[in-house]
Amino acid sequence: MNYPIWDVPMIGGGLLIGIISIIHTYVSQFAIGGSLFLVLTERKAYRENDAGMLEYVKRHSRFFLLLTVVFGAITGVGIWFTIGLVHPSATSALIHIFVWGWAIEWITFLVEVASAFVYYYAWDRLDRQTHLRVGWIYFWAAWLSLAIINGILAFMLTPGQWIATRSFWQAFFNPTYSPSLVLRTAVCLALAGLYALLTASRLKQEELRVKLVKYASRWLAPAFFVLPIAGIWYISQIPPLAREISMGGAAAVTIFAGLTILFSIIIFAFVYLGPYREPGKFPFSFSVMFLFMGLLVTGDTEWVREAVRKPYIIYDYMYSNAFLVAHRDQYLREGSLASAKWVLTKEIGDANMMAAGRDIFDLQCQSCHTIDGYNAIRPMVKGWPEDYIDHQLENLQTLKGFMPPFLGTPKERRALARWLASLNGNEATGNIYIGEPSPGSRDLTQGDRDAK
Amino acid sequence: MQSNIPVPDLDPVSLPAPVWLLKALLLLTFFLHVIPMNLALGGGFVAAVTDWIGRRRNSEYHLSLARSLARILPIVIAFTITLGVAPLLFIQVLYGQFFYTSSVLLAWPWLSVIVLLILSYYGFYLYSFRWEQLQGKRLVIVLASAVLFAAIGFLYTNNLVLMLTPEKWAAMYFQNPHGMHLNFSDPTVVPRYLHFLTASFAVAGLLVAVLGLLKRRNDSAYGRWAIRYGLLWFVIATLLQLVVGSWFLLSLPNAVRAIFMGADAFATAVFALALVCSFASLVMMVIGFVSSNPSWKLITGIVLIALTIICMVIVRDIVRGAYLERYFDVSKFSVEPQTGVIVLFFLLLVGGLGVIGYMIRKVVAAR
Repeated sequence: MNYPIWDVPMIGGGLLIGIISIIHTYVSQFAIGGSLFLVLTERKAYRENDAGMLEYVKRHSRFFLLLTVVFGAITGVGIWFTIGLVHPSATSALIHIFVWGWAIEWITFLVEVASAFVYYYAWDRLDRQTHLRVGWIYFWAAWLSLAIINGILAFMLTPGQWIATRSFWQAFFNPTYSPSLVLRTAVCLALAGLYALLTASRLKQEELRVKLVKYASRWLAPAFFVLPIAGIWYISQIPPLAREISMGGAAAVTIFAGLTILFSIIIFAFVYLGPYREPGKFPFSFSVMFLFMGLLVTGDTEWVREAVRKPYIIYDYMYSNAFLVAHRDQYLREGSLASAKWVLTKEIGDANMMAAGRDIFDLQCQSCHTIDGYNAIRPMVKGWPEDYIDHQLENLQTLKGFMPPFLGTPKERRALARWLASLNGNEATGNIYIGEPSPGSRDLTQGDRDAK
Repeated sequence: MQSNIPVPDLDPVSLPAPVWLLKALLLLTFFLHVIPMNLALGGGFVAAVTDWIGRRRNSEYHLSLARSLARILPIVIAFTITLGVAPLLFIQVLYGQFFYTSSVLLAWPWLSVIVLLILSYYGFYLYSFRWEQLQGKRLVIVLASAVLFAAIGFLYTNNLVLMLTPEKWAAMYFQNPHGMHLNFSDPTVVPRYLHFLTASFAVAGLLVAVLGLLKRRNDSAYGRWAIRYGLLWFVIATLLQLVVGSWFLLSLPNAVRAIFMGADAFATAVFALALVCSFASLVMMVIGFVSSNPSWKLITGIVLIALTIICMVIVRDIVRGAYLERYFDVSKFSVEPQTGVIVLFFLLLVGGLGVIGYMIRKVVAAR
């Protein structure tokens, strides 16, 4: 509408966000849990006067420094870059609602980075008590940044009272804020445990290895008990449509939601039977597998969380394609091309139906669909004649509950239907578009060309 | 097309703070970002050159200085990023309709910033942590990291200039909507970028001089040498800036340049103050270079440079305002300040800085 649409052939913008944010979520949840792991293990080493364990924590702290200040921080900025490119309207809305939330998160980020450096560089310089205190600062700063960003993420699915009141606090402490924070915190601890299993299982000294493997496996315990309860709490708070999508409404989403639970159970079961019961026999290769499964669960869960939000990007406020829910009647009355700033077709006539159809696809569909790549549209409409497509578009929201309604005039719908039908060569009616010779015009076969 | 330049509408959600506050924070945090950014950008090259000279001439001083820079660079980059997040936030809330649009046009190069930054940053860590083991190879690594870091700056200049010129957007977008553009056609991009790059060599030179000042207590000969070596970087870069800066000034559109040439009293005054401060600091540094006790000259020079940077940050904002004059109307914002959260932000900022101060104090005291 308002912003130019970044045309990402094959993978599509949505998948791009997914890839970057899954990496970031995994790494940063890991880093948050890790910071608590560092400080608690350091304390344990002091209490038990275990020099080997202290050495182990020290070595970890460099890894977590690099993970936090480089990979975590930069991929976090990366998400911002990506959502700004793929969903500028939604990003703009979030920035306007939450700029002060983000500004506060920035303070925690500053403190987190500063304390991570002090923690790592001042191991031998500070006395034990002060060093531990820095470790606690590091953990709390890291966790607070999660507690803040969690509000913004949860808001997108459950904006709650904000829709009516536009109040910052209601937007922030929205219905899924608390269950989501509990879930994420437990996951942070579990991931720290998985990572510690990896490093502990490589220790040469037998006694220390057995002790630390067992200790690391205990870090999964909170998640084991908390996830089912907080999970039910979370699901009870999400919109009914989202619940429906995740529980049978959309096959793929339901399968993925199921996989999250299945993989989690497998991880817990194996960690219990392996490192917890038999810490001496736990091989390094298993810990790599656990970590990989952790990534799968994270990716899978984040994907489901995004998927159940459909057909919105900000629930009840903005559809996935950046059309505002409040302007719905206006789009239906005046059409989508009229208010779109980045299309060349403004008026539809017989001569430019195809060009208009492509423009409408860009406006209304491209945020989720590519032509031939991820969530490709061409195979979905294969064999569908124009009239049938038009009928489907007209009843989109009832036929496909997770899709936004078609928001435009009947003529626009017809143009889109014709263009979609043409993707598989079903051009029932004539009016084949011949590109305008002006330098600004877009080649209609662009989509096809990109695909090859 | 000319008659119909597409500029996105303002966000329908109200601005959560008065414009002046957001603007002040944008400029303040940008200033805070620019200092470590200059140190990191120039510092990478200074480290590479110094290390190279050290290895070639087997000079203990050069190697020792490069080693110090290697230790500092990762921390400086961390603060470049951390302090860069804030202006990136405030620019989106005030200028989002320009910033997002130009970003989409440059999408892939813009997104590559993330990859370049990760590579460059890990390279600097490698340089720092594997100093001994890498030996000669570390020159390649630090130079590659410095070049990647400089490339990031170039992409930023591309985007932040394109953001100011909406009249170019439509032609670019309709020619290619895949976000594969750069903004080379704009005559200000290259001089603007070189203006920043040259300044970073000067600022990094000051970092070296300050290191020398600190080291002078333990090893006066080395400290003295480092001060002069750093000031040499500063003086050469600043002399070069006379050429680069003039080129940048001349490349600006006439209407924009005129603002600083008398058409607007405030703009002219700030610009003149920036020039006076930078000349004065150059003089101070030259005196410091030949002086036997350079401390206070150096410190005065640094204060003057800080003033120059503050003035230049304001000048930059005035340039942005002049470019966007036709498209950006502050009075169109609807403002509903989130007063409670704003107050909380400032309280927490004080608290956060207090915590950081506490940790620094502890580290310094433990020396």
